[in-house]
Amino acid sequence: MPTDPKALAYFAAGIGAGLTIIGGAYGIGRLAAAALEGIARQPNAAGDIRGAMIVAAGLIEGVTFFSLIVTILLAIK
Amino acid sequence: MSPTLLVLVVGLAQGTPAGTPAAPASHEQPAAAKEVPKEGDEAAAPGAAAATHDASPSSGQAAPVQHAPVEQGSAASGHGEEHGPAQILMHHVLDQTWMGLPSKHLAFFVIAALAVIGVVRIALRGYTGGVPRGLAAFVETIVVFIRDEIAEKNIGHGDGRKFTPLLCSFFFFILIAALLGLMPFSATSTGNLAVTLALATVSFLAQQYAGISKYGVVHHFMGIVPPGLPVWLLPIMIPIEVLSMFTKPFALMVRLFANMLAGHMVITALLLLIPLMAQISTFFGLAVVPVSIGLSLFIMLLEILVAFIQAFIFTLLTSIFIGMYAHPAH
Repeated sequence: MPTDPKALAYFAAGIGAGLTIIGGAYGIGRLAAAALEGIARQPNAAGDIRGAMIVAAGLIEGVTFFSLIVTILLAIK
Repeated sequence: MSPTLLVLVVGLAQGTPAGTPAAPASHEQPAAAKEVPKEGDEAAAPGAAAATHDASPSSGQAAPVQHAPVEQGSAASGHGEEHGPAQILMHHVLDQTWMGLPSKHLAFFVIAALAVIGVVRIALRGYTGGVPRGLAAFVETIVVFIRDEIAEKNIGHGDGRKFTPLLCSFFFFILIAALLGLMPFSATSTGNLAVTLALATVSFLAQQYAGISKYGVVHHFMGIVPPGLPVWLLPIMIPIEVLSMFTKPFALMVRLFANMLAGHMVITALLLLIPLMAQISTFFGLAVVPVSIGLSLFIMLLEILVAFIQAFIFTLLTSIFIGMYAHPAH
């Protein structure tokens, strides 16, 4: 068992950051795969698809960053 | 993108013996403290002081490693406190006094705002005989893009034109504030939660204004719930819709803040690798210099891209939200 109570916070921050990145990367990866497939099937709609993809990526990124800030606060405070 | 590298930051903060007095490996602390009187002239320069503490060999030998401090002189301008990596990192991204002014972020907020006004005024001068030249051509491209591709498409024809000036202001301010922050000795004003809170508040008010000015107060607030719902669903739907009304600007606020903060943190963390490695041995410190500088240069270039993307996303999402209130489901 860790003797220093801060050790648990660091531990939680590390694990939390890792889980966050797994989730964010999975989301962005699915998004990009679907968007590329869509563009390949219908190159005419590339512009619209790209715009929609950036919006969705921004939403995913926002949630990811929110969680990363929590982990940073855990690690630094 | 940048989130992946942000893990590095947490990893660095974990390995800070200087930041935690209770940590078992705290022998660096006394060693660093002992060296201050020895190198009084070194420590007189506040920027170099922090770096010297970090780069000094942990065993406290004479002839401390001198090559590392150069890289991070700007990162740590030094208070009299501890100088662990976490402290330097936070000092780099948090607000501070600057040139006698109480807040560096506020100063750069004003500078960014003045720069936006200046750029547009210079651009206006480029219109001779109705044809844009130079900077005006560049600004016009962006403004027309915002008007046609963002505002008109998402808010609707007619309504979109009304909100174009606001959206252009958002775009240019966020872009210029982020680009200003990439210059040496400057700060990103949008990397401060208060600034993004203000931007998100303006965005929120614009969303409500769009609905209220079009439908009137009563109809606007009745319109947040889609009509035709069963009555027993209303107790669930109304809180959810009211919550989502405030979640949208909140998400805008956190997204912009975190994006602006993350890049700077990653760059600082990469440069901090040098003194951390130099603590182990001189050779490691020297060996990590090209890696560290190369990576931080890459992140720096990525930051230019992020500046444009975040300005675009903030503008786009604001226009989408305005459009949702200007044309509720019916």
